[in-house]
Amino acid sequence: MRAKKTITSILIHAVLAIMAVVWLVPIVWLIVTSFSGFDGMNTSRFFPETWSMRNYTRILFQSDTVSQFPVWFKNTFIIAIFTCLISTSFVLMVSYAMSCMRFKGRKALMNAAVMLQLFPGFLSMIAIYFILKAVNLTNSHFGMILVYSGGAGLGYLVAKGFFDTIPTSLREAAYLEGASEARTFFTIVLPLSRPIIVYTVISSFLVPWTDFVFAKIILNSGISTDWTVAIGLYNMLQRQLLPNYFSRFCAGGVLVGIPIGILFIIMQKFYVEGITGGSVKG
Amino acid sequence: MSEEGKSKKENRVAEFFAGIAGFFKGFGEACAGGDAAVKVSLVVAGAGYFARKQIVKGILVTLLEIAVILYQVLIGFPYIGQLGNLGEVQRAQVYNPETMKNEVNDYDNSLLILLFGVISLSLLAVAIILWMANVKNTYRIQKLAQEGKHINTFREDLSSMLNDKFHFTLLALPVLGIIIFNVMPLIVMVCIAFTNYDQNHMPPAMLFTWTGLKNFRSLFETSLTMTFGYTFRKILVWTLLWALLATATTYFGGIILALLINNKATKLKKMWRTLFVAAISVPQFVTLLLMRNFFANAGIMNTVCEKIGLTGLLQNLGWINTNYIPFLTDPTWAKITIIVINIWVGIPYLMLIATGVLMNIPEELKESARIDGANAFQIFRKITMPYMFFITGPYLVTQFTANINNFNVIYLLTQDIYTTTNQKMSASFGKEIDLLVTWLYRLTSEQYNYKMASVIGICVFIVCALFTLLAFNFLIKGDKEETFR
Repeated sequence: MRAKKTITSILIHAVLAIMAVVWLVPIVWLIVTSFSGFDGMNTSRFFPETWSMRNYTRILFQSDTVSQFPVWFKNTFIIAIFTCLISTSFVLMVSYAMSCMRFKGRKALMNAAVMLQLFPGFLSMIAIYFILKAVNLTNSHFGMILVYSGGAGLGYLVAKGFFDTIPTSLREAAYLEGASEARTFFTIVLPLSRPIIVYTVISSFLVPWTDFVFAKIILNSGISTDWTVAIGLYNMLQRQLLPNYFSRFCAGGVLVGIPIGILFIIMQKFYVEGITGGSVKG
Repeated sequence: MSEEGKSKKENRVAEFFAGIAGFFKGFGEACAGGDAAVKVSLVVAGAGYFARKQIVKGILVTLLEIAVILYQVLIGFPYIGQLGNLGEVQRAQVYNPETMKNEVNDYDNSLLILLFGVISLSLLAVAIILWMANVKNTYRIQKLAQEGKHINTFREDLSSMLNDKFHFTLLALPVLGIIIFNVMPLIVMVCIAFTNYDQNHMPPAMLFTWTGLKNFRSLFETSLTMTFGYTFRKILVWTLLWALLATATTYFGGIILALLINNKATKLKKMWRTLFVAAISVPQFVTLLLMRNFFANAGIMNTVCEKIGLTGLLQNLGWINTNYIPFLTDPTWAKITIIVINIWVGIPYLMLIATGVLMNIPEELKESARIDGANAFQIFRKITMPYMFFITGPYLVTQFTANINNFNVIYLLTQDIYTTTNQKMSASFGKEIDLLVTWLYRLTSEQYNYKMASVIGICVFIVCALFTLLAFNFLIKGDKEETFR
């Protein structure tokens, strides 16, 4: 019995170790290549022949026509901050209304939201592009903020699932004390919702950093100082640019990857609570 | 579905229509029973409020009415009028005798007509409903006044917006945002599916117009020149196969990984979990673009395969006839590679979710099963999996539709790298590895074929909607909204 247990344990750890290696190979490759002394992609060996910090100094301090990393970073950061503010308030507002209030048309609105989300995002994206173009907002960061946060209310389900778990009795006590609905929202429900606020803030902050398609459609002028990090880095890997920029792409990837990775790891435990919709009783 | 459920559903439909009928009936009653002030409010929206001394409200409502009318007369109606044929005057250079130069004429832009026509028309519909609701409301206040009841002052109205009508305040902006950035664009795109908006009919230089169901017909047609039918069938089959495989592999893979990590024998659980999460915490566009170069024909993976003799082995088996493994350039190989890479991307997410669920399976259940003599596998099959399905069922459904729309993985891995050798496919600008959404994107961004793109978009919607409806009706039942309060 004991021997059997040891064998299982060794087996499990061996399988986990192999899987972990497979999962970490691309990440390790990203990091080591970012320290490579060679500009292009090294196809014959995994670890670079010469090591250097050159890629980082160049991507941070020596911008050229292709690489404008500091500007992209600033653009994405500004867009992310505003998107985060607007999206978070929209999501919390809709979630509270849908979870804690009962009014005519509530179910109908929720069904409409489900229907809307079944349409592929790009379909509306093309028309949004035309609309933004008609009011001259394409290639502007304001336009990007609107695109990312305008429809944010639709993503209310996770936060609603959380609000659903807040006991009704707490709110009823507040009403009895004479608190208005708005006061209950701000002083009772919001303070209890810290985890879901953190989740919403981080996930909406991450959208502009990880989105690639919408930015590519809206910021299509080809002026590299307008871009976000995602399009800028994607552009570095064009066939004719790749030999000169691959290791700088890796450095850029590491530079955005680390802060985003940290945020993601903070968010992961809320992520699980979010998906299982609060139906997991803790 | 049970009889009871059916009649409940019919009731809901009946209720919906009864609600609409009630709205019109109320409007009729208001018109008939209202006093002079209510009747004047048919024309001057604020009149009813002025009569009951609700001055501020009256002014605001009247101002809104004036603004809507001004917009419709100046901008809305001209566009709505042209919606019928989407414009007639094509852009041209006209000689102007006064300036003795060629000048651009006063041309129609079909796209702007469609865009603003649809927006103005929707606005008009909303305005009419608001106008009717407003008349009803003034009649309600008249009745209150007749019965000698209290009529809210403006201040009281405002404070009710923070209290029993707080949902209006909360929902106003988000819903407006959704209407502008989701609903309106969708309506416009659905309309484009019924026009001939493509490369040869590009505003502002050219006009486009309504063509009815022609685009839908050509999606199912295959002839020498038109291969959309062929490409659509192929891509649809691959899309569904992909969604099924991608969802299933990551789902079960994630559960297995979670079981391994949460096994009692496993040491350093937290470290293992963090390792896998670290892999997905780097933005997808970075890892996917890396992978695509990792698996390139002259990439590092091919070097490794050649060194360990895998390439030679496959050549001998006749599976490849190149001196590299075409991971992302051959139809079959590319499909396999994409699914494998997607497993890499997806499993850690599922592992996280499965971990959360596994930790919450009541221990008593497993314990009593063990006492009854069930082995580990039986416990997994009879207790763990059903519990898992129960909690993650809805997530599984959304995951399937998300995979149908999984643009990132396919596009970032294959764009600029994969070229199709299939004549019929390339004639309709599709590739073997395309999903419906990447095909749609390519049609718009490279071919400007908006009409077919929106037809495909509608098809994606139909596929997703059908699947979701079926799944929710047959697999997942019940409303868990208030279970855990």
